[in-house]
Amino acid sequence: MSECIVVTSGKGGVGKTTCSANLGVALAMQGATVAVVDADIGLRNLDVILGLENRIVYDLVHVIEGECRLKQALIRDKRVEGLYLLPAAQTRDKNAVTPQQMRELVTKLKDEFDYVLVDCPAGIEQGFKNAVAGADRAVIVTTPEVSAIRDADRIIGMVEAAELPEPNLIINRYRSKMVSKGDMMNKEDILEILAIPLLGIVPDHEDIIISANRGVPAVFDETSVVGEAFRRIGRRINGEPNVPELDFSEGNGIWGTMKRWMGFGTAQGVA
Amino acid sequence: MTQLLNKILNRKDASKEDAKQRLKVLLIHDQVDLTPAQLDAMQEEITAVIQKYVEIDRDNSVVRLERGDDRIALISSVPVRRVIERALPA
Repeated sequence: MSECIVVTSGKGGVGKTTCSANLGVALAMQGATVAVVDADIGLRNLDVILGLENRIVYDLVHVIEGECRLKQALIRDKRVEGLYLLPAAQTRDKNAVTPQQMRELVTKLKDEFDYVLVDCPAGIEQGFKNAVAGADRAVIVTTPEVSAIRDADRIIGMVEAAELPEPNLIINRYRSKMVSKGDMMNKEDILEILAIPLLGIVPDHEDIIISANRGVPAVFDETSVVGEAFRRIGRRINGEPNVPELDFSEGNGIWGTMKRWMGFGTAQGVA
Repeated sequence: MTQLLNKILNRKDASKEDAKQRLKVLLIHDQVDLTPAQLDAMQEEITAVIQKYVEIDRDNSVVRLERGDDRIALISSVPVRRVIERALPA
């Protein structure tokens, strides 16, 4: 049975698009067919993060306005079997689409794909309403900061108001060094406040910037600790039980570097 | 463990506690849609009503909103010095 998952956060700049791209690739690598949909009309970016920006001919608004067929607008990612991107329009605005039209579009996509991942725009207005319209469930992305968690709380309320089931949480940009010093809220602090189930933690890592520069999501890199974090989240979305949380405290410092050299770095988990 | 170490070394409080406390207050304000000034005014009025019936220790009184599971509760702790002896209003 196929499923539409909206990736949302409220606050901008917390990593929704990066999460959408990496989870799309991760799920496809695990054998699922996936359509990633950029719902940020007017400010599209998912194409750039995926490195597919030069292949756009048609976009989501063209499909909705009947200027092309859905299949013509879907861009196939040649690096992995089963992954397609439906880009957003760059020269239109959020009012070019209605929630009803999004619902119909998602229904068509669900006929073709195992997963439809919708990358939601920041904010709580029309763009958010469009993005959640066809979703079966939501994944909330936050960072361990007061402003991001505040907005995540607001969005959790709005997801519930949209009658979606209880959303899951991704904590992005986690810095274990700062956490161990007590200068960053830890997993338990954040879960205590937001009170929704955790889907996974993604460490703050330079791989994300490098992969965005290149247009190659980190999850393609087998040795990347961030990539491994997304692979594990993908496995959890896919329904694999008891995927251990990544121990990325090893990611920094001399001991982490040594462990990576010795070849048992990224694959280790903690119970 | 780190917290224990911090205590032993008497380091200043970790900033995440500030973050957590500020967030808790913020989320309550967001949810009940009351400004901090309105909350203060509410506290004043509630205390005034209590004072009509009992003499209280104002300095050690607390009236605040707190977020629990799925709901917000009004938590108040008002030490009573003595009951004011007077007839109930007719």
